[in-house]
Amino acid sequence: MSALLVLALTVPLLGLVPLLLAGPRVGERAALAVLAIGAGLCVAVGVAVALSGRALQYFVAGLAPPLGIGLRADGFSAAMMGMSALVLALTAFYAMRAPGAGAPRMPPAFFMLLLALASALNLAFLAQDLFTLYVALELLTFAAVPLVCLDGKPGQLRAAMTYLMFALFGSVLYLLGVVLVYGQFGTLDFARLSAALALAPPGWSFGAALALMSAGLMAKAALFPLHLWLPPAHAGAPPAASAVLSAVVIKAPLFLLVRLWADLAPVPMAQAAAPVLAICGAGAILVCGVVALAQVRLKLLIAYSTAAQIGYLGLMFPLAAGADAYWSALAWTGGTLHLVSHAFSKAAMFMAAGLIAEVFGHDRLAGLKGAARVAPLSIAAFGIGGLSLLGLPPSGGFTAKVMLLTSALQQGAWWIGVVVLAGGLLAGGYVLRLLVLALQRPEDGTLPAARECGWRAGIALALAFGAVALGFLPLAPLGFLSIGRPIAWEGLAP
Amino acid sequence: MSGFLTTPPLPISVAPEALLLLAIAAPLALALAMLAPGLRRLVPRLLILAPLPALVAAVAVPRGMSVLVAPYPFRFTLALDGSGALLLGGAALLWMAAGAYACAYMRKDPARGAFATWWALTMAGSFAVFLVADVASFYLAYALVSFSAFGLVTHDDTPEARRAGNLYLALTVLGEAFLIAAFVMLASGTSEANPLIRDAVAALPTSPFRSAIVLLLLAGFTLKMGLFPLHVWMPLAHAVAPVPGSAALSGVVVKAGVIGLLRFLPDGVALPGWGEALTAVGIFTAFYGVALGVTQTHPKRALAYSTVSQMGVVGAVIGAALASGLPGAFPIAAFYAVNHMLLKGAMFLVAGLAMASAPARARQAALIAGVLGLSLAGLPFTGGALAKYAIKIVVPDGIAGFLLTLSAVGSALLMARYAVLVTASGKERQTPPGGILLPALALAALALAVPFALFAPVTGLPLAAAFSGDALAKGVWPVALGLALAGLLAWRRWPLPEVPAGDILHAMGPLAALWRHTLDLAVAADARLRRWPVAATALIALAALLAVVAR
Amino acid sequence: MSDAMLYALAGAMLAGCGTYGLLTAGGALGRILGFNILGGGVFLIFGAVARRGAGAGLAADPVPQALVITGIVVAFCATALAVALLLRLKAADGAGEEEP
Repeated sequence: MSALLVLALTVPLLGLVPLLLAGPRVGERAALAVLAIGAGLCVAVGVAVALSGRALQYFVAGLAPPLGIGLRADGFSAAMMGMSALVLALTAFYAMRAPGAGAPRMPPAFFMLLLALASALNLAFLAQDLFTLYVALELLTFAAVPLVCLDGKPGQLRAAMTYLMFALFGSVLYLLGVVLVYGQFGTLDFARLSAALALAPPGWSFGAALALMSAGLMAKAALFPLHLWLPPAHAGAPPAASAVLSAVVIKAPLFLLVRLWADLAPVPMAQAAAPVLAICGAGAILVCGVVALAQVRLKLLIAYSTAAQIGYLGLMFPLAAGADAYWSALAWTGGTLHLVSHAFSKAAMFMAAGLIAEVFGHDRLAGLKGAARVAPLSIAAFGIGGLSLLGLPPSGGFTAKVMLLTSALQQGAWWIGVVVLAGGLLAGGYVLRLLVLALQRPEDGTLPAARECGWRAGIALALAFGAVALGFLPLAPLGFLSIGRPIAWEGLAP
Repeated sequence: MSGFLTTPPLPISVAPEALLLLAIAAPLALALAMLAPGLRRLVPRLLILAPLPALVAAVAVPRGMSVLVAPYPFRFTLALDGSGALLLGGAALLWMAAGAYACAYMRKDPARGAFATWWALTMAGSFAVFLVADVASFYLAYALVSFSAFGLVTHDDTPEARRAGNLYLALTVLGEAFLIAAFVMLASGTSEANPLIRDAVAALPTSPFRSAIVLLLLAGFTLKMGLFPLHVWMPLAHAVAPVPGSAALSGVVVKAGVIGLLRFLPDGVALPGWGEALTAVGIFTAFYGVALGVTQTHPKRALAYSTVSQMGVVGAVIGAALASGLPGAFPIAAFYAVNHMLLKGAMFLVAGLAMASAPARARQAALIAGVLGLSLAGLPFTGGALAKYAIKIVVPDGIAGFLLTLSAVGSALLMARYAVLVTASGKERQTPPGGILLPALALAALALAVPFALFAPVTGLPLAAAFSGDALAKGVWPVALGLALAGLLAWRRWPLPEVPAGDILHAMGPLAALWRHTLDLAVAADARLRRWPVAATALIALAALLAVVAR
Repeated sequence: MSDAMLYALAGAMLAGCGTYGLLTAGGALGRILGFNILGGGVFLIFGAVARRGAGAGLAADPVPQALVITGIVVAFCATALAVALLLRLKAADGAGEEEP
């Protein structure tokens, strides 16, 4: 069973071989097949974790830490792996050229980067020591940056440059934090660190190390106020690339942020730091949400919406670090659910935006009147994905919002509840803006003759329905997410 | 109390549960059928039949019947109670008549398919709000009826319709935020994440968040009902929709707010302070709607303001029930709401008929309009008089009772104005689309007759009680005074400057300026934060801050 | 002052210089250099930590050395990618292409 973890890391890389050796047509198909297999593997990991009720563990070459490298999939990792692998596979499908359609062809490099992303993401979700995670984050950045500038336009190159330099700045800070941890404990392995932390209360240098690592991760995740690179990078990239960048790539550093503060840091330390993360999250939701309303281009609007939506995870920290086990578990479930459903809906929205831009030849909002007539499926995908951002039922976003609100209410964190609600209002503004325009009657002669590419819109729609399907999870802590974590949620009474 | 509220007139034994589900599923199925090109042509015709299961359910399903459609964790529960059955039945009648009207009225409209889709979705949502019994499903149903109604508002796609639609949408999203906050707080009082509304409301009086919950509920639901100062969208939205759409909006969609209050406020439990506040707001709205409605020069806008005024009356009744804690008062509020639902629907249809007719025909239509108006104002021997009599049970004589009676003067005045506007709305050489006359007449007849059938079961009093000499005298003078005032206005020809629809909205310029300022500020702040030196410094500062707090 | 301390201080100074460069450099090249200097400083600190953390009786802790080498390789790759991007950017800007 635990060999699945290694396969999840290595199988995507196998797809590079046909891409390099055979022609692009064969290569693309092979890449798609490999990503589909990868998604199957990730789902298998999830099933194995759920069935056994324990985390899957694997030591590379059979060597346990400190000498070896450990891979471990608990419920949280498995959920993230499943989500990212599904989005990646569907994006590859979306990016394949439609037979006979005039859609721009994605270069083979796109598929190579997608495969690299799949492997790097799985490493980030599975690795058990801080340095391997550093390597995973760097691999992720190296695969993501070229995605931003695939077409080689100057604007894209500039955005990619800013993205790369800021991410590198972040990763050096992260590495400095790793160094401090090593200096104090002589190990970087999560399990051994936890054991050491349980023995003696950590000193200020551990706090400083966590702070440095967190700042680095926040830079890579573009959490407000460190979001300078996100809007131009995500808005400028080709739509298929934007979809993976916004949906999954920024989720890996967020995932690690959660790992650091929820699983590694001692509870008092996490409680002390949580308000800072929450304020950043609130800033993201409010400032980026308002700025999204001011955008005149659709893709920039969606990009700012991403910058705003990751703020909800910041809001999760004080709630998840709360004293009451049930409400903190509920907040944790809500935060994770938000992460996953945002991935589905945001991928759907970027894909839809790409199809709309293909039909119209631009993505200026003012010129998209009547878009529902030429791109009905895309608009539907955008709307249904947006439903989740708005927090309307049934959708994962609604369930996540209710969980966060309930947890905030029960723990007396009123201001967090208010920010969650305000974020919903702003999301309503930027999602409905396009829908209202799309339903309006176009001025004569402004509607293009082209029609959307139906089957690719279908993929976007499928992703959007994925976000809807998550809304059917029960409004209670999801036991699956606690599998393999220090605290179990079974038998928690409200 | 017996009859319609506790036992259905025509109880059926075959699958009443399925009927409740079918009531919602039938219009939804029609909306889905629009996706199939082969069925698309059929859908507009079937709109007349779609409300049939809801009507049968309202008449025949045993009261108190509750169905768990989907078990945990999905939990989708339907239930039928007295208030729900009243509103469901009334809504079904209105949807049928308006559907037949729409079918004829929109025959030449190239976008009638889209209209039919929104129509079916709004219908499904409106039936669902009257039927669902758990909190999350109510939120879903409420969102469905609210957001689908946007399609009815903006169907004509004129600049005014777009503006009204945007305002409607913005306030709807705001209302949804109020409600989700209230619902989360409500649910926290129970042991379940998605409790039955009944259980959640039972825990309300002892909830630690009681004030916050009641405030948010009132804000969310009175927004939909159009109570002052949250009424600004209604005159705009109801006036720009196509005629059958206006009838549905003013008749049914606003009742989603009424059922919300009835469902989520405790019946028979006094909430001191809140009841009085709601009564005060309701009574103020009742007069305010009349005052602004009288100045209108378009019959549909006058009707929209009349809806504002009438919903003020309903709000005042519910408020009085809350203030006194009188048990069994809520079905009476629902009864009043049903009376208004049918009358207002018929009035819009008649106004539409007149607007599409030649002047001679319009004058005939105005006659019907006048009769409907008199009923709304509560002239004795009309259905409306029964509704007015019924609410006196909840709001006894006193300041509030007197003011409500006085508001009937206003209603009579406004209705006279409406009839006059209908008279003048015909244009030479035009004939109404065939097929709109019959539904309008049918709904008008139903509106006048249905309250007679419902009065005794709802109030538990014999019909004769409403025809006692005392009751007649109390019913006549407000109408007479209102008509006299209307006559005086017409005779002296006092110039009444027309208040633009949306009234206080136009005083909210500073608010809009503030919003634009916020937008500019946020954009400027974002631009500054996104400069490299600022962001890089922020990164270092954030690391330092985290290190300091996480010591 | 021990050797390790000297290395650590030198590393800290380098890191400080690199950070200053990253904060203030106007262009991409300056930032790339700043990143490299900062990275160098961090690796030096890591070396010092390895020396200090060799409390287990070894002459030096081998794990940080392995990690530093890996880190240097990663940083080198990053620099290569950044420079390649920079060159593409210069070429694209030079060609006078306009954004759509």
